Amino acid sequence: MSTRYVGARIPRNEDPRLLQGHGLFVDDVRLPGMAHMALLRSPHAHARIRRIDTDRARDAPGVLAVYTHADLGALGNPLPKLIPHPSLVHHKTQYALAPDTVRYAGEPVACVVAESRYAAEDAVDLITVDYEPLPVAATLEQAIAPQAPLVHEDIGTNIAARYAQRVGDVEQAFAAAPHRFRERLVIDRGASCPMETRGVVASWDARAGRLDVWDSTQAPIPIRNGLAAMFGLPQQNVRVVAPDVGGGFGPKIMMFYPEEILVPLAAMRLGRPVKWIEDRRENMVATNQEREQIHDAEIAVDADGRILGVRTVFLYDAGAYIPYGLIVPIVASTTLPGPYRIPNYHCEFTAVFTNKTTVSPYRGAGRPHGVFVMERLLDRVARELRVDRTEVRRRNLIQPDQFPYDVGLIYQDNAPLRYDSGNYPACLDRALEIIQYAEWPARQGTSRSQGRYLGLGVACYVEGTGIGPYEGCRITVEPSGKVFVATGVGTQGQGHMTSFAQIAADALGVAPRDVAVYTGDTGLFNWGTGTFASRAATVAGNAVGLAAQAVREKARVVAAKLLEAPAEEIELEGGRVFVRGVPARSLSLGEVALAANPLRFAMPPEWEGPGLEAIRYFTPSQGTFSNGVHACVVEVDPETGMLTILRYVVVHDCGRVINPTILEGQIHGGVAQGLGGVFWEKLAYDAQAQPLSTTFMDYLIPTSAEVPPFEIDHVETPSPLNPLGVKGAGEAGVIPVAAAVAQAVEDALAPFDVRIAEMPLSPNRLRQLIAEVRRTT
Amino acid sequence: MKLEGTNTLPASVNTVWKTINDPEALRRCTPGLKELKEVAPDTYEARLEIGVAAVKGAYTGRLAITDKRPPTHYIITLEGSGGPGFMKGQGTVDLEREGDATLVRWVGDIQIGGLIAGVGQRMIGGIGKMLIGQFFKCLEQTLGGAAPAGGGGPRAGGDAAGSGEVG
Amino acid sequence: MKPAPFEYFAPRSVGEAVHLLAEHGTEAKVLAGGQSLVPLMNMRLARPSVIVDINRIPGLDYITPGPMLRIGALCRQRTAEKSAEVGARCPLLRDALRLVGHTQIRNRGTVGGSIAHADPAAELTAVLAALGGEVMVQGPKGARAIAASDFFVTYLTTSLASDELLTEVRFPAPPPGAGWSWMEIARRHGDFALVGVGAVLALRDGVIAEARIALTGVGPTPVRAQDAERLLVGQAPSEGLWEEAGAAVRASLEPDGDIHASPEYRTHVAAVLTCRALREALTRVREAS
Repeated sequence: MSTRYVGARIPRNEDPRLLQGHGLFVDDVRLPGMAHMALLRSPHAHARIRRIDTDRARDAPGVLAVYTHADLGALGNPLPKLIPHPSLVHHKTQYALAPDTVRYAGEPVACVVAESRYAAEDAVDLITVDYEPLPVAATLEQAIAPQAPLVHEDIGTNIAARYAQRVGDVEQAFAAAPHRFRERLVIDRGASCPMETRGVVASWDARAGRLDVWDSTQAPIPIRNGLAAMFGLPQQNVRVVAPDVGGGFGPKIMMFYPEEILVPLAAMRLGRPVKWIEDRRENMVATNQEREQIHDAEIAVDADGRILGVRTVFLYDAGAYIPYGLIVPIVASTTLPGPYRIPNYHCEFTAVFTNKTTVSPYRGAGRPHGVFVMERLLDRVARELRVDRTEVRRRNLIQPDQFPYDVGLIYQDNAPLRYDSGNYPACLDRALEIIQYAEWPARQGTSRSQGRYLGLGVACYVEGTGIGPYEGCRITVEPSGKVFVATGVGTQGQGHMTSFAQIAADALGVAPRDVAVYTGDTGLFNWGTGTFASRAATVAGNAVGLAAQAVREKARVVAAKLLEAPAEEIELEGGRVFVRGVPARSLSLGEVALAANPLRFAMPPEWEGPGLEAIRYFTPSQGTFSNGVHACVVEVDPETGMLTILRYVVVHDCGRVINPTILEGQIHGGVAQGLGGVFWEKLAYDAQAQPLSTTFMDYLIPTSAEVPPFEIDHVETPSPLNPLGVKGAGEAGVIPVAAAVAQAVEDALAPFDVRIAEMPLSPNRLRQLIAEVRRTT
Repeated sequence: MKLEGTNTLPASVNTVWKTINDPEALRRCTPGLKELKEVAPDTYEARLEIGVAAVKGAYTGRLAITDKRPPTHYIITLEGSGGPGFMKGQGTVDLEREGDATLVRWVGDIQIGGLIAGVGQRMIGGIGKMLIGQFFKCLEQTLGGAAPAGGGGPRAGGDAAGSGEVG
Repeated sequence: MKPAPFEYFAPRSVGEAVHLLAEHGTEAKVLAGGQSLVPLMNMRLARPSVIVDINRIPGLDYITPGPMLRIGALCRQRTAEKSAEVGARCPLLRDALRLVGHTQIRNRGTVGGSIAHADPAAELTAVLAALGGEVMVQGPKGARAIAASDFFVTYLTTSLASDELLTEVRFPAPPPGAGWSWMEIARRHGDFALVGVGAVLALRDGVIAEARIALTGVGPTPVRAQDAERLLVGQAPSEGLWEEAGAAVRASLEPDGDIHASPEYRTHVAAVLTCRALREALTRVREAS
């Protein structure tokens, strides 16, 4: 079987449609009689709701309905718990509308359905709510202090969970170690800012008993199953479509957002389709956020800088509710060891409720934190022991002959954290070659003599990807010869319509442009869990591969009968099916598909059913582990604190690459988001947990002017755990960025002896750090 | 947001005390206050339209005077909520005789929430100080004195000359 | 994010526009480029009940050279930025324009609109202040000129009466042989300045004959650094002199802080940028001669 398309940089199937404005996003869904929803959201971070007066709103022109919690019945109960964990003692989840207490600024309190969004917003203005403000747990430290205001009064604490993982005996290791270093590292909150905000359209056909929902989600199948359960409908009668989705990045995997309940509810009660599109300001408060952690970390090393033990205790901000459980801190805990041999490890976290927006994974999902901690600890070792920073890493890297490498922890999929393959030293070497590390001291010296402060940073990481439980795929060849691939994951910009087509095309001997890929529609494929955790290419991709192989084998069996030759001698290429060596005697793939579906007479039992069609599932037993090294050169202006990223290098190993252009796009996007979290993006709050940066004027996502051209190279160590040999790449770009830039900034400001132990930075903060050192010296 | 300052008013302590307790003077001098209706002693329902230039919001709420220690001390609280969000300002006011005039020391805490807080953070501090400055300027005028040069107004950059379109 | 209901008028003459403003007073807002007004309306932070759209008034989009460069109210920022006249006669304005938002914003935003909006961190208001320019406004009783020093009152507030329309912005030409510099620190390309400095320097017989320095982002209105200007006039340029000027600027400012920059940061950077701007302005003086 050829691998002509997998590995090739072919242009994307989805681009002509998208670039000509023919995409279908949720806001493009327009149904006859469609009404519009707007929400009233709490301005207080913590308050009791004494009274809601909706009379004036109900009477406003164009208003069809106004709902508060009292109108929801059973749907007013806390929404489902997604990922339970034995340590998650207080698995508090959110409400469709706040019952008697609001717990974060932006929490929905009431909703209006009207003829237009304009009219709905006019009516929202007419709702009056009598709030009794309550004391606010505005920060992590406030929330765990004694006598802290309680986010959930009934549990008597703000601590949702405590969990620890350990390897070996860290106490003993630290006690015996010649060197021990400690760092306190703080990472602050950020938002995912997808170009397309969230949105839901629902349409209810009372006669057929059918609910159709369009939802900008990463998990249409679980949404479908959940809605069916909550509304008491057969799953078959509910269809959820995640059409074109303009960016997911993690927060769109969360369910259920209040609007995902309210919109179908309104559609069913009013007998009219209802649409809600989130505006940007709502997105900045009502779509889940992430990134806030405080680590107290320590490393123990021998005289050569070899790691004897690592220990971290950290606080994780869960926000007001914790529907998604402990995934982010568990991922942080299990990513921290990275590509290094760590014989003794202890990682403990406390998940804390605060009066802020709910937290769930955002690209990286805790991996950036693990890497930031580990890399900053190693940088400290390098500095204290006066060992070159790349040398100290090299001394601790897991070697290519040590795979599979058991880290000794349990990963987020509840399977052992066992690295399957990789060549960590090769990635490091390649990155250092591209960034010209050997020439760096001279280059930095020259720039300093010109009064410029340049710095270089390097960071290494391992990323767990491709976790289960499973994904599936159905492939069907139609008599036209066109191939249809349907799978249960969704697509939010990953290029699945192309990468999955490449996999199928190789197996079936057709061109990728003749393969139509459908994702995210429960009406077309209704088993699967969603697009998250860098798993779609690995898990769904392999399901595509298995299904394509099965269809290929079926085509050979059917063609064998038609071409009167043994199946083993049948080839598929160029859309045709022929006997090896006798291309003149051939059929088109479409003709074989037609023949596989006889209208009369007997069908051979070995066909096991009609049609060139197969459904297959891929169920990984554990994740597969990508890795990479980032290196960057930055310049800092110490007078103004301004930072310029001059060069950014990524050397990345995600096993077998399906489409290098798509992979690079993923990396570009991830690095840009990582850079955002380094110098620009910070969710600001006042002392009452009021969000202060709810527009792009103040929440600063980097533009193309802030981000340099990326230099990307690949290493390929295929995964032995799946037939395609692929590993995940969706989150890779973001993971080590903070670590690499922190090291680079310290390197640039070495003459000022500034230490970077927090993210994000800003010009103001860099000036402060410089001034603080001056004051104390 | 915490602010503090001092202002000198050209009248005796008793006169100033009377004025800052007088609902008429409060209604006239509090920026944006459109209506003040007494509902209990020292407690008023308030209607405000407050903002700068085009950015204006309508708020309803209350004004209350508490911790009264005549003629030198009270706490005045103004809070309101409306479409753009909510605001709550609380000022502790102390009067001191300074010759024939009165030195007013005030310490204020302003909380702003909702939509306006999420968009206006760049200017809210400065605008808050400016509005407090306007309050005192109006009081000066009410007390019939010429505006003292400089004055110990709230610390702010620039000069809020003219009345512009505020309130 | 949908605006509250409003009435819409699109007058075809300045007189008609002024008449509408007089009729509706503070309930009316002028719509030119809309780059500041429309987002405020969409967020319902501004709810004018009347919009007076002046985009259909002919003859307001000119750039006329002269002792003052006269720019009509509807001249788009991008047009001014690319204009040869502006580049030749008022390069300080051109350099500042390049940093106003992004190209897309400048394609619609107007020079007059930016001046009338009076954002405390805007570039063009500081340029007008630095050059000692003025605006022409038209009201029901006729036209008047308002000097920059009288025009900017406080945050987002000018001395335009509610029945007046800004019709022209006038930028005096700098003295012949003068050097200029616009420097700003912004978090990202196109953002509002954390601190911005516009400087103009003219020398005569080796000493500074004229110095103008204006800052944005450090107060409710653009700030003319008059202490620093006075310190410079009559002196020979030197690095030490620039630092003195920077220190004078720093001492004169009491900016507010926000989530992006503290008051200390702003005063410090104001001094740094003043030095750098004066240095660059001097380089341009030397290049010109």
